[in-house]
Amino acid sequence: MHETSIAASILETAQGLIREQGEGRLESVKVAVGELSAVEPDLLVFAWEALISGTSTPDAALEIEWSPAQTYCPTCNRNLDRARGSWLRLCSKCGDPVVTKGGDELDIVQISFIQEDSNQP
Amino acid sequence: MTEPTKIDVKRRILESNELAAAKLRQGFSATGTLVVNLISSPGSGKTTLLESTIGRLSGLKVAVLEGDIATERDADRIRKLGVPARQILTGGSCHLDARQIQREIVEEGFANADILFIENVGNLICPTAYDLGEDFKIALLSVSEGDDKPFKYPGIFSKAAVTIITKIDLLDYVDFDLEAVEDQIRSLNQRSVILKTSARAGTHLDEWCAFLRSTLEKKRGGAGPLP
Ligand SMILES: Nc1nc2c(ncn2[C@@H]2O[C@H](COP(=O)(O)OP(=O)(O)OP(=O)(O)O)[C@@H](O)[C@H]2O)c(=O)[nH]1
Ligand SMILES: [Mg+2]
Ligand SMILES: [Zn+2]
Ligand SMILES: [Zn+2]
Repeated sequence: MHETSIAASILETAQGLIREQGEGRLESVKVAVGELSAVEPDLLVFAWEALISGTSTPDAALEIEWSPAQTYCPTCNRNLDRARGSWLRLCSKCGDPVVTKGGDELDIVQISFIQEDSNQP
Repeated sequence: MTEPTKIDVKRRILESNELAAAKLRQGFSATGTLVVNLISSPGSGKTTLLESTIGRLSGLKVAVLEGDIATERDADRIRKLGVPARQILTGGSCHLDARQIQREIVEEGFANADILFIENVGNLICPTAYDLGEDFKIALLSVSEGDDKPFKYPGIFSKAAVTIITKIDLLDYVDFDLEAVEDQIRSLNQRSVILKTSARAGTHLDEWCAFLRSTLEKKRGGAGPLP
């Protein structure tokens, strides 16, 4: 269950990004999670909810953008269709070996926050 | 009511780990140390493979970092062979991270080793995401775990530059389709090096050690991507 440490890293980075802008309350974070990143989106949301409930922004949401790996055939110069979780070794059209690309995203792509005036009570 | 401010960014979630790993990699590059990160399920034979590897790497300075949730057992097994070994106890965490490696390699014998083996916590998922400054990851899969594992755990098999299929002395006793497993690995990772070993019977251990020696030479010669 390293999703717990991943959730903590997301929160820490998001708070750092807000601090770079001044002060604010985190509303939501959008992250890209790749198919080959070894992170399970459901478990990550679960870990996020457990973590965020104990903070000063208990309603801050985590949005996950799923990012599948691509199966590319160099001979046909195209990406092949495949169902999530299924993998191909050979091209369904020409029979040549395919190349698996991408899918290792584990990135913060957007944060949303309410700016707070630090001079107000 | 104030509208929320939205900003688009592109930040690695594990950025701080990746920065620490990059620093480690720089240090290992300066000392010419080949570093491999061994990842597998509990009991696939990581420590046993290291035990039978060490004696075959005569002439090289070898060091071992052992990651486990609890006990000094694996480090003790390695120290018996006269090789510096340190146990990193993660205290419940299911993977090693780059900071833990940084803390250990200041110790004598680690920073200037020829080959540093890092045995990760027994877990086929979590260690996949954490860069430890290694040259490459090695996935181990023992034949008694079943031949459907690469597709079930695509993250690690797509990232590991090398997969070692271990305990092949047991092939006659289990249903394990070697060819199907190699096919799965190559679907995920076209450049993967696949080795098949038995630490028990000594099968292909010379080939494995020759691979390590030539990869070390390649690293020191600065000859392109490893392995
Ligand atoms: N038959 C056979 N058994 C092996 C072989 N290699 C290891 N084993 C056995 O597999 C068991 C687990 O081996 P370890 O080397 O401790 O496995 P590990 O991956 O280090 O385990 P953790 O550190 O707990 O994750 C031990 O009982 C070993 O004796 C092999 O090549 N053949
Ligand atoms: Mg072990
Ligand atoms: Zn875990
Ligand atoms: Zn094709």
